[in-house]
Amino acid sequence: MRSSPWPDRIMPLALAIGALLTTTAFLLAFLVAPLVAGATVGSTEVIGGIAVSNKLLLSQKIFFFHVPVAIVSFAALAFTAFYSIRYLMTKEPQFDTRARIATEIALVFIIATMASGDLWTRFDWGVWWVWEPRLTTYFILMLLVIAYFILRTAIDAPERKATFAAVFGIITFVDAPICFMITRLVPSSIHPVVFSTESGMSPLVLVPFLLALFGMLLVGFSLYRVRLRQVTLTDRIEQVKQQLEETWQNRNLMEG
Amino acid sequence: MARASTPNPSAFSQFRTLLAKDLRIEFRTKEMVTSMGLYALLVLTVYGASLAQTAWGFNILQMAGGLLWVVIIFTSLLGLNRSFSQEKEFAALDGILLVPMDRSVIFLAKMSANLIFLLAIQIITVPLFAFFFLAMTTPANTAPLIVLPLLVGSVGIAGIGTLLSTITMHTRGKDVLLAVLFIPLIFPLLYACVSATSMMLVGTDDPGAIWRSLALAGGYDVIMILLSWVLYDFLLSA
Repeated sequence: MRSSPWPDRIMPLALAIGALLTTTAFLLAFLVAPLVAGATVGSTEVIGGIAVSNKLLLSQKIFFFHVPVAIVSFAALAFTAFYSIRYLMTKEPQFDTRARIATEIALVFIIATMASGDLWTRFDWGVWWVWEPRLTTYFILMLLVIAYFILRTAIDAPERKATFAAVFGIITFVDAPICFMITRLVPSSIHPVVFSTESGMSPLVLVPFLLALFGMLLVGFSLYRVRLRQVTLTDRIEQVKQQLEETWQNRNLMEG
Repeated sequence: MARASTPNPSAFSQFRTLLAKDLRIEFRTKEMVTSMGLYALLVLTVYGASLAQTAWGFNILQMAGGLLWVVIIFTSLLGLNRSFSQEKEFAALDGILLVPMDRSVIFLAKMSANLIFLLAIQIITVPLFAFFFLAMTTPANTAPLIVLPLLVGSVGIAGIGTLLSTITMHTRGKDVLLAVLFIPLIFPLLYACVSATSMMLVGTDDPGAIWRSLALAGGYDVIMILLSWVLYDFLLSA
C-alpha cells in the first residue's frame, strides 16, 4: 500500500482554511468594506457625475465573490495546459488524468462565475445578457471547456483520446489570456482593470478581496485533490478487478 | 565507387508535391469547389428569405460585414469536414506518413490547399453577395479594402480548421464535433474580422480602429498557426 502523497494529507486542512477564509471575506465584504468612499445605505451617491442609488452600490459586493472565482477558473485552465504539455512530452496517462480533472475544476468555477456575473448583469443593466467583450470572451472560454469534454467522449482509443485532448487543451488556453487582457485592450466601463497599482482599492476593500481570493484558491486546490484521489482509486480498483478476473480464468482453464 | 544517392528532397519540394496533389485531385473531381460554392449560394438564398420582409426598412450596410462572415464560416466548415475524407480512403494518409519527412510540412500543405479553396469560393461569393444585397446601398470609399480582413480571416480559418479536422477525422459524429470545436476557437478572429469588415463597408471616423482589429486578427492567426504547426506532429503520431 502506497502512503498518500503530501498534498492529499494537507487537503482536508486546505479545504477547511479555504472555507473559513471565503466565509470571513464575505462577512467582511458586507460588514466592513465601505460602499464607495463614504457612501451610506439609504442615500444616493454621485460617481463620475452620475447619481447612483445605494441599491446599485450594494450590488458591487459581487466583486468579492465573482472575481476570485473567475481567477481560480483561469488558474485551473493554466494547470490543464501545463499537464497537457507534460502529457505530450512523457505520454504518461497520469498527466492526462490530471489535465482532465483540472479542466473539470475549471468548468465548475466557470459556471459559478457565469451564474454570479449573470445575476449582477440582470440587476445592474436590467438584461440577462450583453455581448460585452469580457462577457463574450469568457462565454467562449466556457464553450471551449465544454467542447473539450465532448471531444473526449467522441474518441474511443485511450491514447488517441489523451493526445487529442491535450492538444485541444493547449490551444484552448490561448483564449484565457485574451479574456484576461481584454479589459486592457478594449476598455470597457463595466470591468475595471483590477490588477494594477492604480486600481484604487482601499485597504478595507483590498483585504477582504485578497482573503476571498486566497480562500477560493485553496477550495479549488482541495476539490482538485479530492477528485484526483477518487479517480486514481477508481482506476486502481479497475486494475485489481481485471487481474482477479484473469487469475480466475486461468485457474478455470487449468482445472477444466 | 561513389554511390549515386538521390539527394533528400527539400521541405519546400515536399510541400509543393503535397499541395499539387490536393489541387490536382480537386481539378479532376471539382468536388470541393462545387459543393462549397453551391452551399454558399444556398446560404445567400436563405438570407434572401430572412431579409425579404425588412429589405428596404433598414440600412443593410450595417449588417453586411456580419452576414458576409456567416456565409464564409459555414461554407468553410463544410469544406474542412471533407478535407481529410479522401486521405482516409485507401489509407492514403498512412502512405503519406510513411515518407520520412517533417510532419508539419503535411500541415502546411493541407492548410494551403484549404486556403486556396476558401479563397476561390470567396471570389465567387463576395461579388454575389454584393450583387444580391448591396446593389441599392452606397458603401464607403474604404469598401475595396475588405480584401484584407477576408485574407487574414481565411488564413486563420484554414490554419485552425486544418488542425481541428485532423482531430475530428478519427472521431464519432465528426461533422458536429468539428463545428463544436471550430466555432468557439475561431471566435476572436471572427470578432476582429467582422468589426474590420463592417468599419470598411460603413466607413468610420477612426481609421486606427480598423488597423487595430486587423492587427488583432493577424496576431491571433500567427499564434494559432505556430501552435498548430508545433502540435501537429503529436496528432498524426497518435
